Amino acid sequence: MCVSVYVLCVCLCVFLHCVCVCVCVCVSVCVCVCVCVCVCVFRHLLELLRRTAVHGESNSVLIVGPRGSGKTMLLGCVLRELMSLKEAQKNVLLVELNGLLQTDDKIALKEITRQLHLENVVGDKVFGSFAENLAFLLEALKKGDKSSSRPVLFVLDEFDLFAHHKNQTLLYNLLDVSQSAQTPVAVLGLTCRLDVLELLEKRVKSRFSHRQIHLFSSLSFAQYLDVVRAQLSLPPDFPDPKFSDEWNHSVTKLCEDKTVEEILRRNFNGSKDFRSLHSLLFLAVSRVSVSHSTLREADLIEAWRLISVDSKANVLHGLSILELCLIIAMKHLNDTYDGEPFNFQMVHNEFKKFIQRKSHSIHKFEKPVVMKAFEHLLQLELVRPVDSGVCKVQREYQLMRLMLEHGQVMEALQKYPQCPTDVKQWALSAFG
Amino acid sequence: MSRYITRLRMRRTYKWNGRPVGEDRKLKRQYYESMSISVEGKTEDATVSLGQYILIEGDDDDNPFVAQLLKLYTDDSGKKKTAVLQWFVRMCEVPQNKRKLLGRDPHPQEIFFYQDRSCDNEVDGETILGAVQVGITAPATPRTPRHATPSIPSRTAPARKPGNVLEEARARLHVSSVPESLPCREQEFQDIYNFVESKVIDGTGGCMYISGVPGTGKTATVHEVIRSLQQSAEQDEIPHFRFIEINGMKMTDPHQAYVQILQKLTDQKATPDHAAALLEKRFSAPAPKKETVVLLVDELDLLWTRKQNVMYNLFDWPTRRNARLVVLTIANTMDLPERIMINRVASRLGLTRMSFQPYTFKQLQQIITSRLNRVKAFEEDALQLVSRKVAALSGDARRCLDICRRATEICEHSGSQKNSSGLVGMSHVMEALDEMFSSSYISAIRCASVQEQLFLRAVIAEFRRLGLEEATFQQVFVQHQALCRVEGLQPANVSEGLTVCQRLGSCRLLLLEGSRLDLFLRIRLNVSQDDVLYALKAD
Repeated sequence: MCVSVYVLCVCLCVFLHCVCVCVCVCVSVCVCVCVCVCVCVFRHLLELLRRTAVHGESNSVLIVGPRGSGKTMLLGCVLRELMSLKEAQKNVLLVELNGLLQTDDKIALKEITRQLHLENVVGDKVFGSFAENLAFLLEALKKGDKSSSRPVLFVLDEFDLFAHHKNQTLLYNLLDVSQSAQTPVAVLGLTCRLDVLELLEKRVKSRFSHRQIHLFSSLSFAQYLDVVRAQLSLPPDFPDPKFSDEWNHSVTKLCEDKTVEEILRRNFNGSKDFRSLHSLLFLAVSRVSVSHSTLREADLIEAWRLISVDSKANVLHGLSILELCLIIAMKHLNDTYDGEPFNFQMVHNEFKKFIQRKSHSIHKFEKPVVMKAFEHLLQLELVRPVDSGVCKVQREYQLMRLMLEHGQVMEALQKYPQCPTDVKQWALSAFG
Repeated sequence: MSRYITRLRMRRTYKWNGRPVGEDRKLKRQYYESMSISVEGKTEDATVSLGQYILIEGDDDDNPFVAQLLKLYTDDSGKKKTAVLQWFVRMCEVPQNKRKLLGRDPHPQEIFFYQDRSCDNEVDGETILGAVQVGITAPATPRTPRHATPSIPSRTAPARKPGNVLEEARARLHVSSVPESLPCREQEFQDIYNFVESKVIDGTGGCMYISGVPGTGKTATVHEVIRSLQQSAEQDEIPHFRFIEINGMKMTDPHQAYVQILQKLTDQKATPDHAAALLEKRFSAPAPKKETVVLLVDELDLLWTRKQNVMYNLFDWPTRRNARLVVLTIANTMDLPERIMINRVASRLGLTRMSFQPYTFKQLQQIITSRLNRVKAFEEDALQLVSRKVAALSGDARRCLDICRRATEICEHSGSQKNSSGLVGMSHVMEALDEMFSSSYISAIRCASVQEQLFLRAVIAEFRRLGLEEATFQQVFVQHQALCRVEGLQPANVSEGLTVCQRLGSCRLLLLEGSRLDLFLRIRLNVSQDDVLYALKAD
């Protein structure tokens, strides 16, 4: 998104202010999260890695925290700080692996060998079979020793995925090196699963040092509001100080507004992590333009509406009247039969009852047409068969379930453009 | 009509610069240091001297040869000028089959040092065209993978030594600093020692099975046995023997065991089948002067295959008369032979078994004390607490050492604040135990957002209503909306509810089915209901 913003900047310099604002808000993201993570956690991790880099002491640690709580960011900050130390700068080798990219120990091993530039790598190609690569790496690590080899930091993102590899070979070997008198290594795992230790095999678990760093967000709502204010404000080194003052002033006023506070509270109640906050704020800030160059509550309201919309609502708005009627018929069946699965025949009967008794505006559709509408609903996965296997039963008699909740259907009806009144009334009536 | 490009041949005149610097009476030569070349039509003269890189007329006007000038001389008459050169070749002049040796793509203007006796390195001085600039790149000797040696680069500055008492204690408590002799394993050491010594002295073979939970010192004890046997062998008290070690987890496939054993025995590389055949031959063939081979097989259970032929061979070879192979196997479960081995394999393994028991708290205390030796870093009570706690749980020495290390770190950190004696005390140890033994579910629930906590409550409410331990998302959602109304919050819609549910599922506070099932995905709790209620009650 930042790239497209820059393109705009080139076109018209009038846009400069607004564009800069967007970019600055994005940039300030990185700074703020570091502040919110507890300082002692940062110190603990930095100290651990410093000892590996400087004293050659092997360690292993797991950083555990829900998604968006700042694990990768914390690690990035710590590594940057570590590399700024003179003693560590030239000495430390870094290997970064990700469980989603290296789905297999074979691939992971090739990646480690490539990143360490071991001698069986020529250019970018790693020579040798899986067994040879493993033997080569283990031999290389075994030959080193605490005082004279460069320490290696292994960062394993999505650590829990590595535990699903066959025999957990890679994990066993890395942790074994960290507990032997070989090349000093530090194994850093990042994961969001709280039960990650239960995934490890007993031998691997025994070799792991059981150090865990938990990143749980214990922010209160007041602190959250402060973070929002800080993130939306422009930094002091913004080129246009007058605009920057105006902007910051408007942001402060905005944060005191009741509606805005309500929206932020609802977002905070949903989840405390910063990723969802940034999606909300970004949508709001994207609405800033030349004509209105400050952030207004309408922007936030619109942004919240976009974020919190039900995912099936738009699908329902795009349905034809016939399809909508079928959905209402299914809703009635659910109410009558207490959520039991139904088949097309039952839905059709319900629909016919409505046509005969109540409807004046809906055309009397033939059965094949109704069937086609039903199949469209199946394609959209608003209706799904109960058993997804191959069924010997005729299509009309296959049991199905409606994947919509009562509330979703009613809400869709309210907002459906030009919905006939008798359809609405049918939906609202209790007896079908 | 083809275009014909003609080039004017420039006439060149060669003249010596300065006086001759040397003379060879026998060969009747006079050596010079430099020569100047004047080209017709050009005002300046080009000078070439010894040591410079020069261009020599080649077959092709566009690609002259490059060489380094080593000597210049003339004969008696002064008419014939000769230059002695060191030739360089371009990549195009290198034969095709040798080009791959470079291992990388050459620069288009790269030249290479040519050392071949077939080429004459004395040429007519009048073929010299002029000087040329040659840049020398660092001779990167690209190693082909076949000759690659495994190594990690070395540090620029040596690692720092421990500074204060706590750092020293930490260094000693690291799991990798295994002491010379393991405390509390004297009996086991003796048994294994006797077994291996007797086999080595008799020149027979045998198998031993060692079992024990992780962290009880099995591999360390065997290494200690081998070390002391090797010392005895050096003092000629017992015959010499060879020690080989393989580890089931460090192999990608059980059949690689053959490859590794063969490589460590004879430095040969072979495929698994070939290696098996070679080893079979080696262990069956009589050879009176053969040394006993002591083979340690760690993590034996990973060598299991369906036909169990790897394990069969490993236990069968020692039974051959001329094999002189002693196999020591290590695994975690005491009844491994009975459980996974077929009869003939288990019987060849034999009944020489040894079981390492988990450490008791006294033993753990002794281990730590002996590791620390004279370094006084821990208070007595602190040590006891750690030992008791770990012994009660697993009896794993690694766990114990790691907790003590963490305690020293905490002590060092709080050292600036506390006025204590600088020893690691109860409070530090308790903090370390808390950290390393804790289950973080309670804190995770406490730090969850409002909707997430409500969702957990809704899950429990639905479980109570159904009397089951499982519910669908739709049922839980209904409860969730009711709870929202009770709390005075705006009820979430289905998408928001699903997001909350998925977040709880990704941390594994809840166990969920695939999200394709939408409203009908089933939810189970990964934490006990009491823990959830306790966590939610505290605020």
